Amino acid sequence: MDKNHSTKNEQKERVLLPSYQPGNLVHLVLLKGGSLIGLIGLSAFFALSSQHFLTISNVLNIFRQVSVVLIAACAQTMVIISAGIDLSVGPLIALGGSVGAVAMSYWGWDFLSGAFLGVIIAMLAGFTNGILIAKGKIPDFIGTLGMLGAFRGVALLITDGLPVPSHFTATALKGYLPPALVWLGAGDIFQIPAPMIVALIMIGITWFILMRTSFGRSIYAIGGNKEAARASGINVEWTKIWVYGLSGLYCGIGGLVLTGRMNSANALMAEGIELQTIAAVVIGGTNLFGGQGTIFGTFIGAILMGVLANGLNLLNVEPFWQRVINGIIIVSVVIFDQWRRRKLIS
Amino acid sequence: MVNPESTPTLVIKNVSKKFPGVEALKNITLDIYSGEVHAVLGENGAGKSTLMKILGGIIPRDSGEILLENKSLRLENPRLALQAGIALVHQDLSLLPYLSVAENIFLGRWPKKGISVDWEKMNESTNQLLNRFQVKVDPRALVGTLSVAEQQLIEILKAISHSHVKILLLDEPTSALSGEEINRLFQILKEIKNEGKSIIFISHKINEAVKISNRITVLKDGEKVITDTKPNLDEQTIIYHMTGKYINLKNFHHTPPTKEKTIALSLEEIGTKFYKKKISLNIYQGEILVVFGLMGSGKTTLARGLFGFETLEGTIRLFGNPVTINHPKIAIQLGIGYIPEDRRFGLIYELPVYANITLAILKKMIRNGVLQIKKEHEVAKHYVQALRIKPPNIFREILYLSGGNQQKVLLARWLAREPKILIMDEPTRGIDVGAKFEIRNFVKGMVQKGLTVIYITSDPLEAIEMGDRIVVLRNGQIVTTFNNPLGLDKSEILAAASGVHYGRENDG
Repeated sequence: MDKNHSTKNEQKERVLLPSYQPGNLVHLVLLKGGSLIGLIGLSAFFALSSQHFLTISNVLNIFRQVSVVLIAACAQTMVIISAGIDLSVGPLIALGGSVGAVAMSYWGWDFLSGAFLGVIIAMLAGFTNGILIAKGKIPDFIGTLGMLGAFRGVALLITDGLPVPSHFTATALKGYLPPALVWLGAGDIFQIPAPMIVALIMIGITWFILMRTSFGRSIYAIGGNKEAARASGINVEWTKIWVYGLSGLYCGIGGLVLTGRMNSANALMAEGIELQTIAAVVIGGTNLFGGQGTIFGTFIGAILMGVLANGLNLLNVEPFWQRVINGIIIVSVVIFDQWRRRKLIS
Repeated sequence: MVNPESTPTLVIKNVSKKFPGVEALKNITLDIYSGEVHAVLGENGAGKSTLMKILGGIIPRDSGEILLENKSLRLENPRLALQAGIALVHQDLSLLPYLSVAENIFLGRWPKKGISVDWEKMNESTNQLLNRFQVKVDPRALVGTLSVAEQQLIEILKAISHSHVKILLLDEPTSALSGEEINRLFQILKEIKNEGKSIIFISHKINEAVKISNRITVLKDGEKVITDTKPNLDEQTIIYHMTGKYINLKNFHHTPPTKEKTIALSLEEIGTKFYKKKISLNIYQGEILVVFGLMGSGKTTLARGLFGFETLEGTIRLFGNPVTINHPKIAIQLGIGYIPEDRRFGLIYELPVYANITLAILKKMIRNGVLQIKKEHEVAKHYVQALRIKPPNIFREILYLSGGNQQKVLLARWLAREPKILIMDEPTRGIDVGAKFEIRNFVKGMVQKGLTVIYITSDPLEAIEMGDRIVVLRNGQIVTTFNNPLGLDKSEILAAASGVHYGRENDG
């Protein structure tokens, strides 16, 4: 029986790094596709409860709403697979968006230059995280928690704590955001929301990095066993620094998309988004302790959270209750995930 | 001792266990009598550990019955197993280093005086227990300050300090112990046995099993092959039952190079901050240099130092050129490979076999910045076949491979890089006979092709079998070099390593 599996698997070209040895269909569905089942079940429930749920406009709306979380969650996936955690995702988004918006609306920079500056600043901030953690040898949790405050402060300094562009300062210079930026957040191509396209591109890039580059393989290796990775010649510090740098870059892009969608940036935006990204990653089956995970799982996880928020809105569930339900769902999924892992190990 | 007429203490009846894709145990039936030491032997993956875990309540059985003194046991968790009278002593120690010996032994059931702990009573009871087995340890000493061997004894005493325990399960009890410590352990096991308790232990070391057990059970592929009393099972027969083939333990030697020797690695006055004494040594190309030493001899420090994990003082020359190795990356670039003492420090358990094999050659697997996955698969397949890694599935995660096969993967990783020098630290410790044999033979084959191997071991028989030369290390110092180990007696090596003045004194 065992041998049959082996030969079958060898013939099949496997693209993803398998997180376990497939057994029968029940195993495959239950143990691997946990979040996908959740997503389908939840969608079916909302579709039956509300006639608006399964309309094209609503589905596209869900995608538009989750796109920023999704972009940041791509970065968070890489960070968590490397056995780290980035708690400064929210401020990084605010920083990237604010810097870009300030450059474009107050300094008169064109869209591309402004966007480039915003992304680069966020990336530098990300590198700061990485250097603190890798060179300063402090826990990832502490490093990014500290920077969470610092980056938010920098964003506040840059924007003077005001929305950008703001009525108070807009009069002096060109006080509006370039149409390209607004399109990035709110536009569409053939009805497909532009932010969703950005998110899908970022997912594709992340997949490529994780599956098709030695850097990606190093991310899995240092997350799985840091010492073994080091003994195999992998530069652990360098990999860590770049993972956090990439996290900054992704967040910078996410910040621009968010700014475009709201037609305004402010230093306090994307508050609490780090927890949403972590939830999406963990719901997607990535091991919170590193070494295992897929970008596809994160995609499902983020969509699941988007569907939940959207569906509860459609059902007119009170916002306070929405928070409660959100929390319960996240914890339930993780409990299920732990159960799944125990099953896989024993 | 074992009286077949008497009723067995523990009856294991038709116990089976399936894991996804593997039948780990098939209808195991086994009786254990009171006051017997029962060895369970088998290659890795034969089901020994599974059986122990089921008895210890760590994993549930799928079917079958387990009776202790005619009472059917459910064994749902380790606590219930202990309550029923079965205590499992873990392979990796589970003591708390910052608590005292007494506190550890009575963990969870500290004697109370009112609401406070009765320290005097606890230390006194511990003292009695220690005296009973002649273990000379202070009950107040922190466990973390004890040697590994002492910690293991404490762990065993902790298990039998529950007076109702009738069955003691030991998982590889001697794997971390040196010769003298092993004898002491055996002495204690004998005393436990004399108290009427039964001991079931699993081990890779067949000679030890033969030495201390009354009866031996051999498992193969989850099935019981045989249970018999010792006189009927000698080492050769046991190996036959375990592997299904006869292995001639003698004819392993390959001919050492006779041509003029190139010095591959030359160590001049090497030492560390901890080991003040210096080592000077030449290692020739195409030879297997065995570094033999017991625990604390500095052999692992030397290996780690040569690979850049520790700072070494002195001069290292690689093919005549002086080199500074202060990071594994540099060692790898210089063509040095390293298989660590503990494979858990070498493997990435979450990654499949192929990714573990290509981990050190990722740079070569890239074209235009893109990993050539197909090429990776080819390389991995080549080594899986060459080293006969089982199952022959390169997508399987390392976690699901047996210890011997994991070790082969680690070996494959370095061979794929084609190193000039391979440092292997205890490469066959804790793996089954078949894999041991295959790994040793493969290494010898590679040496014929020009690989230089520094082979570190604390098993004297392995040292004699593998070494073109044997260097014996003690307290960070070379005490003896055996230039022609063929026909050497293991007692000579052990004597040198343990500081007994005896044996040939050759100059290396």
